[in-house]
Amino acid sequence: MVMALNKRVWRILKEGKGRYIGIVLLILLGSFYFIVATGISGNLEKMVVGFSEEHRQEDLTFSTDRPIEDIAALEDQSGAQIEAYRQFDVKLPDGELRLLSPGTQINFPAVLSGRGVEKPGDILLDPKFAQMHGLKIGDPIELNGKTFHIVGTVAIPNYVYILKNLYDVLPTSGFGIGIVSSADMAAFPEAVTVYAAYFDGAERSVPAENINAQTAKLHELLSEQGYVLSEWMDAKSNKRISMPWGNITSMKSMSFPVSTAFFLLSCIIVGVMVMRMVKADGVVIGTLYAQGYRRGELTRHYLAIPVLLAAAGGLAGALLALPCVKPIVDSMLAFYILPGQGITFSPFNLALAVLMPVALIGLSSFLVMRKILQKTAVELMKGDEQKAKVNFIERALRLDGFNFNTKFQIREQVRSIPRLSFLVLGVSAASMILLYGFTYNYSMDVVMEKGALARYVYPLEYNFKEVRNIRDGGIPAGAEPYNALRVYPAGREAVEFYLVGMQPDSVGFILNDSQGNPLPRNQVNITEPLASRLKLKAGDTIHFVSKLDGKTYSLIIDGIVQAYGEQVIYMPLDAFNRMTGQPAGSYRTVLSSHEINLDQSQLAGVMDARNRDAYKDLNQTTTLIVASVTALAVLVATIIIFLVTSLIIDESRSTISLLKIFGYRKKEVWKLILNSSMPAVLIGFCLGLPFMLAFGNTLNGYIAETMNMLIPMIVNPLYVLISFVLIFVVYEVTRRLGGRKLAKISMSEALKAGTE
Amino acid sequence: MFLSVANLTKSYNTGMITPVLKGVNLEMEKGQIGVILGPSGSGKSTLINIIGGVDRTDGGTVEVDGKCITDLNDNQLVEYRRECVGFIFQFYNLVPNLTVAENIEVVSNISKNPLKTDEVLSAVGLSDKKNRFPRELSGGEQQRVSIARAIVKNPKLLLCDEPTGALDLETSRGVLALLQKVNARFGATILMITHNSGIAGMAHAVFRLRGGEIADVVYNAERIPAGRIEW
Repeated sequence: MVMALNKRVWRILKEGKGRYIGIVLLILLGSFYFIVATGISGNLEKMVVGFSEEHRQEDLTFSTDRPIEDIAALEDQSGAQIEAYRQFDVKLPDGELRLLSPGTQINFPAVLSGRGVEKPGDILLDPKFAQMHGLKIGDPIELNGKTFHIVGTVAIPNYVYILKNLYDVLPTSGFGIGIVSSADMAAFPEAVTVYAAYFDGAERSVPAENINAQTAKLHELLSEQGYVLSEWMDAKSNKRISMPWGNITSMKSMSFPVSTAFFLLSCIIVGVMVMRMVKADGVVIGTLYAQGYRRGELTRHYLAIPVLLAAAGGLAGALLALPCVKPIVDSMLAFYILPGQGITFSPFNLALAVLMPVALIGLSSFLVMRKILQKTAVELMKGDEQKAKVNFIERALRLDGFNFNTKFQIREQVRSIPRLSFLVLGVSAASMILLYGFTYNYSMDVVMEKGALARYVYPLEYNFKEVRNIRDGGIPAGAEPYNALRVYPAGREAVEFYLVGMQPDSVGFILNDSQGNPLPRNQVNITEPLASRLKLKAGDTIHFVSKLDGKTYSLIIDGIVQAYGEQVIYMPLDAFNRMTGQPAGSYRTVLSSHEINLDQSQLAGVMDARNRDAYKDLNQTTTLIVASVTALAVLVATIIIFLVTSLIIDESRSTISLLKIFGYRKKEVWKLILNSSMPAVLIGFCLGLPFMLAFGNTLNGYIAETMNMLIPMIVNPLYVLISFVLIFVVYEVTRRLGGRKLAKISMSEALKAGTE
Repeated sequence: MFLSVANLTKSYNTGMITPVLKGVNLEMEKGQIGVILGPSGSGKSTLINIIGGVDRTDGGTVEVDGKCITDLNDNQLVEYRRECVGFIFQFYNLVPNLTVAENIEVVSNISKNPLKTDEVLSAVGLSDKKNRFPRELSGGEQQRVSIARAIVKNPKLLLCDEPTGALDLETSRGVLALLQKVNARFGATILMITHNSGIAGMAHAVFRLRGGEIADVVYNAERIPAGRIEW
């Protein structure tokens, strides 16, 4: 008997196939997104963390003015493992190759193809360099008069993102790295020694989160022993190491909330439909009870539809997502050199992608139908469930002042609160996704245009390895020195920022307040993103710790600098040097309006902002994400508005039929029924904006904890307008599709009402 | 003649051709009440649907107030229903999520010269229930709303499909009395279908439909007030 009843399931699905396909698509998108997001973050994490752990990525890099005499003793005192390696830059006709001796305890290389360095004369190249210069395994390469044989390609943990200098922002064209044997390195007497430190007990899941105290101790020990330290940089600040973390963090933090939102939206709409179905079948259910069916049998029968939809959507989404992860991971890793470990998927996440929608939708459907299925056979056979009930909002509404069309449309919307909630929340979600994509893209553009690069009037910045002094001269006209220190607020190690000491007559920086007025250079000015992250205002005192030596300082904030993304405190150079115990006139960086002829060996990095377009390459991934997010939002909006329109038409069949009998013209019926969703769509869109800002700021705040850069969500009215137009184009298209369905409803439905 | 039906034929194809109307002829003067009596399946509803412009004929003509509605295209039929016809159904067909007054406005909203909602509500005795929803009314009250909705446009022709079919005797008398009052007050021509011969006494003309043909036409010289109808 139950089997006979179950034949209905397929028939019910066939009758409303458009609607059920919509629901399956919505669930599919949820599980698709879940698998893609967790797959990307999981695989990136596996590659990045796996590589850093297995190849013992350094926690700190530094250089000294002379070789450290007793590394073993220093290791004992500091609790760190320290390894020296040698590096030498070889100029080539069309680029530059940095030769490195292989790390044996820290940063040891991973051979990507070919074999490792086995004998003198062997060289491993980074794959980008090899590709760029048309070199392949087996080719010879001449470096400083010595011929090496390329035996393979390599990745090393301290050059995941290949930057020539520690303070560079973009890779240098034609630059790459190569690993040669220590014996070969000895043939280059000009090679410099660089140290890598690895701290036992450092948190490995994110780069160097809890090593500030240990690095400060090591710094103190080395300073006590009279070493002059340069290029002191922990892994978190080191872009060669920390660049891929932004992708991992953003994907990881978005995977659960976004997919759960899809599943919950599906729960509402499936709940509404199951409720309608069970109510419509009230008399049949009562009759079946009377004939001996058990409650459990009927519950299983009615649960079969939502569970089937959820399982089909969840499974299809998960399966479709599997082949999509690799190309996305590959595109995200295009800038990085990591050993490919193959894409893997967590069986737990795969199971969750199917079971989560089944559990959520199954449970919500069960709760919805339980109330009706608990009634007695007699109650159900009376047919009360089929009669339209008036909810409290409908009852409370007094619409006497409105014209009939408005009254009708308002009543049509408030007739089903769950349906209205689904529409408003669904459109909000779609608008939120759409606005987030556009706003994030625009914000990144603004940060690029008006962020750190726009701060500099002078486009060139030379970072020196060691502290220099103004009194020694060498700063030409059109250039100015500044000094800087990497610090973190006391008690909040994740929020790192630069403390910059600048000259009182500095013109190289633009420091304006929120009204655009220049701020005095002889006071302490904090950038707005940092002030907002630390909840500081003018007059407040900030206590912070130097990352270099662990010393604590305090400053009173005088002004807030209008800025995008940057986290900096600017103060007068003299006060800076006095406070940090450096001689007056000390500086480490020179800003310049033009190229300066400097000894390259003294430089730790050059930032060249003359060609700003080059920085846009960093945004390629963002553009890809925005394009896919826009497509996703349009799809979600289409499904949601289509589902609601289809529901409204179905729930209003007899009214539509009646209106036709009364002589309503096609367009009049169309307007009355299909225009009624317009205000809900408008409200949904309007809610999307604050939702997006709340979501975006929370997400960016979370990313900021890892990436230490707060991307502000800057709303561009043009993009809001474009999003609005897109949502309403979707609404209009869906309405027209609904119009065809509406035209098919015949007058006989009302004429036969109650007679069947 | 206000309503003239001549040689009306209609068949339905339900796998096989089933003739429903086989040359029906019927005439009514303006302002009359007509009752079509017949058992289930005699073609009453099909006939009234064709006269109301919601169904099409296979042959024959229907003229209402001098206009041949069987010649009208779909759009013209919409205008005909909009301007000329009021409908009353056995199961009321009220819009459940609209109040009593709003249900009446469904029709007045598209009428050129509708009566005032309050006026028709007063005429059907439901002024105090204008803000109620249909579910909050008895069957008789719901049918009164349905009558108010039909007459608000002041139609030339009022078509009633078993208006008392779902009501008890007392409530039915009230509804029929109301229809008589509407006929007298607004001058609407009323054509009512029923299988209840007790109602025939209140009509000017009674058409007995049997097997898709008019078997008998009776013109009542004296009409019984609805309040005295028995069955």
